[in-house]
Amino acid sequence: MSTTNNEREVILSVRHVDVAFDVGGKKKFKAVSDANFDIYRGETFALVGESGSGKTTLGRAVIRINPCTAGEILFNGERISGKISKQQDRNVIRNIQMIFQDPAASLNERATIEYCISEGLYNFHLYKDNEDRIAKVDKALEDVGLLPEHKSRYPHEFSGGQRQRVGIARAMIMEPQFIIADEPISALDVSIRAQVLNLMNKLKKEKNLTYLFIAHDLSVVRFIADRIAVIHLGKIVEIAESEDLFKYPVHPYTISLLSAVPMPDPIIEKNRDSIVYNKEEDDPNAAPREMREIRPGHFVYANDEDMVAFEKRLEKLESYHAE
Amino acid sequence: MAEKRIVLSAKDVEVKFRVRQNYLTAIRNVSLDLYEGETFAIVGESGSGKSVFTKTFTGMLESNGRITNGSIMFYGRSATDPTTGEQVENPGIDLVKLVKDKDWEGIRGAKIATVFQDPMTSLNPIRTIGSQIVEVIEKHQKISKQEAKEQAINMMSRVGIPNAADRFDEYPFQYSGGMRQRIVIAIALSCHPEILICDEPTTALDVTIQAQIIKLIKDLQKELGFTTIYITHDLGVVAKVADRVGVMYGGQIVEYGTAEDIFYDPKHPYTWALLSSLPQLGVKGEDLYYITGTPPSLFNKIVGDSFAPRNPKALQIDFVKEPPFFQVSETHFAKTWLLDPRAPELEKPEVIHDLHGKIEQMTGKGGAFYVDDE
Amino acid sequence: MNYFKKHMFDKYSLKKDDFGKLPQENEPETNEAEINEDELFGFAEFDEKKSEVIAAPRYSYWKSVWKTFISSKFTVAVAIFVVLVVSFSFIYPAFSDYDPMVAPHINDVDWKYLAPSWQHIFGTDNIGNEVFDVVWEGARNSLIVSLTATAINMIVGIVIGAIWGFSKKMDKWMIEIYNIISNIPFLLLAMILAYVLRNKFSHLGEFGAFIPLIITMTITDWIFVAYFIRTQVMIIRDREYNLASKCLGTSTWTMITKNILPYLVSVIMTYISRQVPALISYEVFLSYMGLGLGQQYASLGRTISQYTTYMNGYPHLFWIPVSILAIISISLYIVGQKLADAADPRTHR
Repeated sequence: MSTTNNEREVILSVRHVDVAFDVGGKKKFKAVSDANFDIYRGETFALVGESGSGKTTLGRAVIRINPCTAGEILFNGERISGKISKQQDRNVIRNIQMIFQDPAASLNERATIEYCISEGLYNFHLYKDNEDRIAKVDKALEDVGLLPEHKSRYPHEFSGGQRQRVGIARAMIMEPQFIIADEPISALDVSIRAQVLNLMNKLKKEKNLTYLFIAHDLSVVRFIADRIAVIHLGKIVEIAESEDLFKYPVHPYTISLLSAVPMPDPIIEKNRDSIVYNKEEDDPNAAPREMREIRPGHFVYANDEDMVAFEKRLEKLESYHAE
Repeated sequence: MAEKRIVLSAKDVEVKFRVRQNYLTAIRNVSLDLYEGETFAIVGESGSGKSVFTKTFTGMLESNGRITNGSIMFYGRSATDPTTGEQVENPGIDLVKLVKDKDWEGIRGAKIATVFQDPMTSLNPIRTIGSQIVEVIEKHQKISKQEAKEQAINMMSRVGIPNAADRFDEYPFQYSGGMRQRIVIAIALSCHPEILICDEPTTALDVTIQAQIIKLIKDLQKELGFTTIYITHDLGVVAKVADRVGVMYGGQIVEYGTAEDIFYDPKHPYTWALLSSLPQLGVKGEDLYYITGTPPSLFNKIVGDSFAPRNPKALQIDFVKEPPFFQVSETHFAKTWLLDPRAPELEKPEVIHDLHGKIEQMTGKGGAFYVDDE
Repeated sequence: MNYFKKHMFDKYSLKKDDFGKLPQENEPETNEAEINEDELFGFAEFDEKKSEVIAAPRYSYWKSVWKTFISSKFTVAVAIFVVLVVSFSFIYPAFSDYDPMVAPHINDVDWKYLAPSWQHIFGTDNIGNEVFDVVWEGARNSLIVSLTATAINMIVGIVIGAIWGFSKKMDKWMIEIYNIISNIPFLLLAMILAYVLRNKFSHLGEFGAFIPLIITMTITDWIFVAYFIRTQVMIIRDREYNLASKCLGTSTWTMITKNILPYLVSVIMTYISRQVPALISYEVFLSYMGLGLGQQYASLGRTISQYTTYMNGYPHLFWIPVSILAIISISLYIVGQKLADAADPRTHR
């Protein structure tokens, strides 16, 4: 994909990536097909889709849990997908970290918080001596708003929000450049979500991080993301700057997703119906589609025929916003 | 609102659980009047007691829990006097007095039905969908097998199962999550209940499916005229479904009123905090408002206002004495000392001023995201 | 979570009248008259850090296991009993002069078939030996054999099972080995081994004599332990916290010892608590079939098989060793089960 902002440095490049799984016999299920996008250093890139859309699969392909069946992933210009050397593998682990969805499931319940946070330090021996390690753990806890005295406790003694912050501290202690956050707030209570989002933003600024933020809720993503990619049944259908996606949504699936999220506003909600997107209505004989740039930095999955309709819609939206 | 009929009236309900050696007070003196045909949404975080409270309406508390105080009067639909033909008020039953499963027959499932979050907890995985609906119909109505089957298929198509007759003999695993939840709704509605309790019915579903299920419940409510209690933690869902809203915190309803009251004119600091921390209202580059700490432990006796320890603007009296309900308007009540005449003036946070305007700016007029061509 | 709830509630479900006697809640004495409400309508102080403090006392897994274990008087009583019985069966034979190859009273008619009495606690047998001596000597040997075999089975089984459960490559051929081994007729194998290994280890002294039996009890049995552990490992292998460890670069071995095995303490305990009694009866069975220890060693199995003949004429000869066997097996099983329960964090509080 051509970069619109040439002065920006690409940190992660996903090039025509397919991820397929065996489903008994010779059959393969393509969870992600032809994912193709760049993530720039310092931005928050959101990948939004419903369950089964392949968003988590793609995130895990980046961190080498799921192998790519086609295409390649570059990190700082170096290929990190497929067979790579042990040194490179360790390099990926040090620089790309993950925050998980369910803070109750992603911490080892039989280990103290100190061990949970130190795990990465142990594996890469990132400390001079034991004193240094403990100092680092204390600092990491402090960074996420927890107290050093917490480190001798076990995960189940914490609330959901606190646990999620432990998960964040565990990733941050590796001093990564890139963080994959897989639905980091959807398992949390509403009142805790804001705190975790704030924390993620604060750490991003302080440590100059880049986020791949995986989510299912577009309205939450708008607050945190710089750019948003909408993924549907393994295909990325639209990529745009976050404000643009809300102002000029062109792909029918994006529109259906936007309209489906209930807004905390009774006047609006009582009077609107969600717009249903039905992929089956697509003509199977339609010309092949690809990602096309419809506005600067705004890409949509379309063929010539679609483009006519999308451009018409875009024109309308632009005139609407010009008012 | 005032002239509306009350179908269910809970008064000072208190529920305690025994957990090992301790007693946990899950619900602390909660009262609620439910009007016929309305949708009442109960919103709260996990542990606020929203599920426990509604479970008392169907006698489905876990075996270590008991209602230790209060009454829950269920009136149901008014009956027609056979001699005079006039509408006669139902004298009502106190649900708290029902103990045995036998007492609950004719109420649980028949008059008050529940739809739970996970459809698989309500469906038997090794029996066909059809037989499960038929079973419920036969249990509550005396009709032939054939008629029951017809009713079941009818119900299935009503909740939006395509080719209902063909899918009658399929098993739950052959249905998608959204379709299963439709079936659960079909089962719940097959005996024409007067109250439908929806306990986070869409939390496990995708947003697009959620939108369909919510619409389905709404349409059926219009058609069949039942009263809905909707439990959720999602304020967006509340805004979509609710006529009236009760905000629960620490085992109590702390504020209730119409949806408009709660969203546009909230009075309780907890409601303020909940609304302010919505990421939808966030401005990029700025911090979101957030609530510190964790909800109170219900094992301890709660003194004063249960939200006070997390409320940066708490009053001293909040730590000493429990506030009563203050009336804000005819429909709107809030349990906070801020409404006491002696309290200092405190405006709601800036973020939630002009909530409607802010949301509309994001979603376009009518929430259509500027897309109105199709 | 639902399972947890159910488990918790089943265990602690209560009777209706329990609610009648609520413990007196400590109501802070707020004397309404003393408070001047009007003065309290100012803002209170607020400390954000305070809300992060966890008030609950510190949790420690093993301390909680211990506390839960000793919280039941019955369990403690059985545990003490087990310790006494096991240590007695090791101490007593050291002081008795019983030797299976020597029967000092074999020609003394007055010493044979005596019923239990104060002089002869368990009575005497067909060759004038004290049944008390025979039984405890036998119990000791049976325990040595079965405990050693259990230890070997568990250690080998857990190590192999853990790796087996983790490695998808290994699973393919391990399953085949498992299928083959589990189809070997055990009795046939035991007979061959008894024949092949006879006297092979006699130069190692008394313990050497136990080795053939221990080999018979472990040669195939470990794979069942391994298979059990493999299944357990597979259940928790793909949980998110293991994925998290993988993302942090944790090695497979550290994952097994730090992430997997600590979760299996309880199920392993349950397995052991079944394995020990099972192997004791194994020993009895093998000795009964003549495949157990040699002539010169007493064991519970040999004793029972010898005395079976007298079941009708002198029932105490049969029933006393059988009862001792039952008591040891059952109490070991109970203690093991209770330990397994205590090791399950769901029972902690």
